[in-house]
Amino acid sequence: MNSEIEIKTPAQLLATETVVERTARFERDAMQYTNQLYAAALRYTKDPHNAQDLVQDTYAKAFTSFHQFEPGTNLKAWLYRILTTTFINTYRKDQRRPLLSDGEVEDWQLAASASHTSDQGKSAEDEVLENLPDGEVKRALQEIPEEFRLAVFYADVEGYSYKEIAEILGIPSGTVMSRLHRGRKLLRVLLQDYAKERGIGGSNGM
Amino acid sequence: MECNEVMHALILFIDNEMQDEIQVQTFQTHFEQCPQCLTEMEHERQVLTRMKALLSDECCEQAPDDLQSRIAKQTALLAAQMFSPTQIITEYRRTETTFNGETHIEIETTHEIRRDFPLS
Repeated sequence: MNSEIEIKTPAQLLATETVVERTARFERDAMQYTNQLYAAALRYTKDPHNAQDLVQDTYAKAFTSFHQFEPGTNLKAWLYRILTTTFINTYRKDQRRPLLSDGEVEDWQLAASASHTSDQGKSAEDEVLENLPDGEVKRALQEIPEEFRLAVFYADVEGYSYKEIAEILGIPSGTVMSRLHRGRKLLRVLLQDYAKERGIGGSNGM
Repeated sequence: MECNEVMHALILFIDNEMQDEIQVQTFQTHFEQCPQCLTEMEHERQVLTRMKALLSDECCEQAPDDLQSRIAKQTALLAAQMFSPTQIITEYRRTETTFNGETHIEIETTHEIRRDFPLS
């Protein structure tokens, strides 16, 4: 019978955590993601100055609600969620631009996706992708509408699943899928256009 | 399974987002029997792999050096604010007035929140 040893659950430990301990834990666990958060912020704001402010505001919110973070779950995804809400609440508030809803985008670029692509179309696209100058994909990504850009970023750069992206962006998984699908298609169409401007991969066969 | 059904849900197959193993099996069986769909799937997969590699190479900007220190300073400031004790001073004022046999009672409550703001 040894009643002196008391094992505390993570929740109990958090409840008794001092400000100093919390600060140390935050610095140890959360500060390592500054670069990734900055890269993500650039996808939201498109502007380095605003991206820095967005990251800083995100860290302020994250620190003041750090006691709500459940240890053992994905901290980076939690920070991305805060990044998203911070962006919506502060940076987009005064812009008041109408957001494209998912059904409103022209479907012309998706028309080909339900049928087989010609071999000619395939090799033209391969040629385009093999001959892209540096920075071209990023330029295209920054050009597509925000909601598509973010879905593509979280799926194809960060490698998150639809479910994880849904949580980060606060939208249903089905919406993630359609935004991702459209976003990737738009990106490919843009890259074909850029290539055409440079005289590569003449036929726009998708 | 029809080709157009496969093409419509190709993104789910390529992203490994199919609902269950049975669905995955159905697709694989179709690819075994339909060279056109197989070629399409392989092309889509290859394009996506290439796009992912390009995007990952280009979307990894480094935060400016001073951002990290700005955040560290901000965290310290917020921690100091959490540290400083908060005093709440509550005052009640009860005024009772009787005039011509009619009593009028007025209760006023004020809360004052006092907190030291740390020097940055």
